[in-house]
Amino acid sequence: MSSKDNNETKKITKRSFFFRLIGTVLLFFLLDFILSAFLLSGLEKYYGLNSNSKVALIGHSHLMLGIDKEKLEKELGVSVAKYTREGVNVADRKVMVEQLINSNKNVQTIIYGVDAWSFTSEGLSANSYGQFYPFLNLRTIDDFIKNNASFADYWTKKIIRTTRFDEVLLSSAVRGHLGKWTNLKYGNVHVENLKRGLRNDEYRKVENRQENIAIFKETIRLALKNDMEVVLLYVPTIDLLEKVQQESFDEAISIFEQIAKEKEGVEFLNLQDSWSHEYELFYDPIHLNPKGQKTVTDSVAKYLHYNQGYLKK
Amino acid sequence: MLFNSWQFIVLFACTAVLYFKLPYRFRMLLLFVSSYIFYMYWRWDFAVVMLLVSIVNYTAGIHIGKEPNKTKRKTYLLVAIITSLLPFLYFKYANFFLENINIFLSAVEVKEPFSYFDLILPVGISFFTFQALSYSLDVYFGNTKVEKDFVRFGAFVAFFPQLVAGPIERSSNLLGQLRQNHNFSREYFLQGAKLFVWGLFKKVVIADRLALYVDRVFETPEAYSGLTLLIATLFFAVQIYCDFSGYSDMAIGAARILGFKLMQNFNLPYFALSISDFWKRWHISLSSWFGDYLYKPLGGSRVSYGKWVRNILIVFLVSGFWHGAAWTFIIWGGLHACYYFLENWGNKLLEKSGLEWVGSTRGYRFYKIVSVFMLVCYAWIYFRANTLSDAFLISKKIFTDWSQGWYFGGSTVTFVLSCFFIVLLVIVQLLQRKGYASLYFSKSKFHPILEYGWQIILLLGISLLGLSSNSFIYFQF
Repeated sequence: MSSKDNNETKKITKRSFFFRLIGTVLLFFLLDFILSAFLLSGLEKYYGLNSNSKVALIGHSHLMLGIDKEKLEKELGVSVAKYTREGVNVADRKVMVEQLINSNKNVQTIIYGVDAWSFTSEGLSANSYGQFYPFLNLRTIDDFIKNNASFADYWTKKIIRTTRFDEVLLSSAVRGHLGKWTNLKYGNVHVENLKRGLRNDEYRKVENRQENIAIFKETIRLALKNDMEVVLLYVPTIDLLEKVQQESFDEAISIFEQIAKEKEGVEFLNLQDSWSHEYELFYDPIHLNPKGQKTVTDSVAKYLHYNQGYLKK
Repeated sequence: MLFNSWQFIVLFACTAVLYFKLPYRFRMLLLFVSSYIFYMYWRWDFAVVMLLVSIVNYTAGIHIGKEPNKTKRKTYLLVAIITSLLPFLYFKYANFFLENINIFLSAVEVKEPFSYFDLILPVGISFFTFQALSYSLDVYFGNTKVEKDFVRFGAFVAFFPQLVAGPIERSSNLLGQLRQNHNFSREYFLQGAKLFVWGLFKKVVIADRLALYVDRVFETPEAYSGLTLLIATLFFAVQIYCDFSGYSDMAIGAARILGFKLMQNFNLPYFALSISDFWKRWHISLSSWFGDYLYKPLGGSRVSYGKWVRNILIVFLVSGFWHGAAWTFIIWGGLHACYYFLENWGNKLLEKSGLEWVGSTRGYRFYKIVSVFMLVCYAWIYFRANTLSDAFLISKKIFTDWSQGWYFGGSTVTFVLSCFFIVLLVIVQLLQRKGYASLYFSKSKFHPILEYGWQIILLLGISLLGLSSNSFIYFQF
């Protein structure tokens, strides 16, 4: 090193060096703990976990944008937990139901979001288990993640708690603390683009896989075993997606109908036919915009009001 | 092996501990082995290419050094250049040339085109080839001593902190430092760690986040409005800066911990006052490489005006071609050459009209910073676009199609965070420019507690908002 180079640096004593090093590590882990605890509490509020909710919504972004939790609470007069996450598959949802059973003791009805792609593996996030990272302290979640995540990922999340969050979870945590559940997906689906895509065979194919149907049935059994009623809710998806694959689409619907018919305590609320042709309700082919959300929430509230009698309880 | 991986942290920690524990005679072997482990973690077979390039240049250096005859020295140098460049040209450009030959053949209606080679570009080949070549050239020009220890020379070519994406080190700097015996320095450790953390933050928090938007838009530019394409271009300008300068900072920081001082590779390039200034601030190690080994041997600026124009064109076109085997990169280089000429003519015009004083006014300086940035951004379109037709489409739409509003990306939160981090980066860079915040190894003027707090925030930012990507943009070069 040149003498100029040496002049650039000030001598640091051994004591000061170790003090800084250990201080940095300790301070980092302390702040990591505080920040992650704050975010976790926000996330629990956002999802309605550890609350005394009587109704719980379980599903992915389709249901997340499809139901206005605050409106539903107002209409029914009961607390509603909205435990919905982007891209979760049927196996993830089973874990969500297990988690809900453990954390929310008062849940009487689970509204489980279904759609024609519920049993399709393609197209949903392959690493959706990552959304469970914040709950790594729970034994069931820990086991679930250990089985899915890589060794390095698992231990990174285990040791550094803030790594358990990503920006979606961070945003949900902040929304939870602020008490905001609004659907911000304003705008309308571009129907012409969609039609063009469909003509080019660019759409997610419905594929009713037996292993997914089995997991789904297990989830239903689990809820029923815990004295919960299950409403399988089909939040509408745009009808153009249905028409290009009518047969497999109908097959998925018939599975839900069959389960509802066979199992006591399970009902199937299908809003597809009522709204799937109203394109102004959609943000994109499968997600509703705020207008669509309001429309669907009204229907669900009315249904629960007449069929489950929550307003009377 | 990526810097943002546990594998690297383990390899680096083991190397650093052993490096300071071992006697000097074993240190080079340690660096040599660690560097090859680092490289072979990706593909072991391509390490052979690196080894061969090292052997060629090591041997050439010895022969050039002891050969008094100028012609023979030149022959050795040419053999070293050609042999070193062969794998580089083959892996990087063979398919490009075949593709263009096939286009020509189809134009003249030859029905059987050449089939393409099934090639994977060895990571960092452009970097280690140029680094090794700089040694042979330096020995030839008498700028460096001949290295007789092959292990040390091998460690110089493969030095793992900067192996796959630079800075492209000169033998006079790095080889000289490899000959010294470094003791562990607490000061260097802290300097290196700080720079590493800042580099990692730029990479995983800023660059990888911006990449989500940029990749999506540049994949199908026809689906987006001009405004969206403009935003994507601006995002890409920040992404590539954070990605590449982030890697450089991590490389320089890691090397600093081991006691080495690698050259500065970026010096706030988007505050450049001219295109020539931009190239003194962007990828400095490559610009100076081309300056020293291409531009100056061609005659530099001490030639007739026509030859100077030729020299500038050659340097920028070669630089573009170095970045990638595609016409988009060549046009990118060509655009920068054009900017260079325009700037030169503009300056001459100001001089002739007696308006040089304008150059020192604050408003004009601001105008120059903004205009240089915009011109650089325009050229980035060609650098990033997947095809030439995409690049033309993007250019056209940016200027003509503002009808559809703009696209927020897959997630509004990501978009908002991206904008927030760009603003944060600008603030940090303004503070660096004013000399308040540390840049490279300069001393920060902030109170140590504030600086310490900033480091903790960066670490928390990395753990909370860091994305894990699979690569760095410059790995492909």
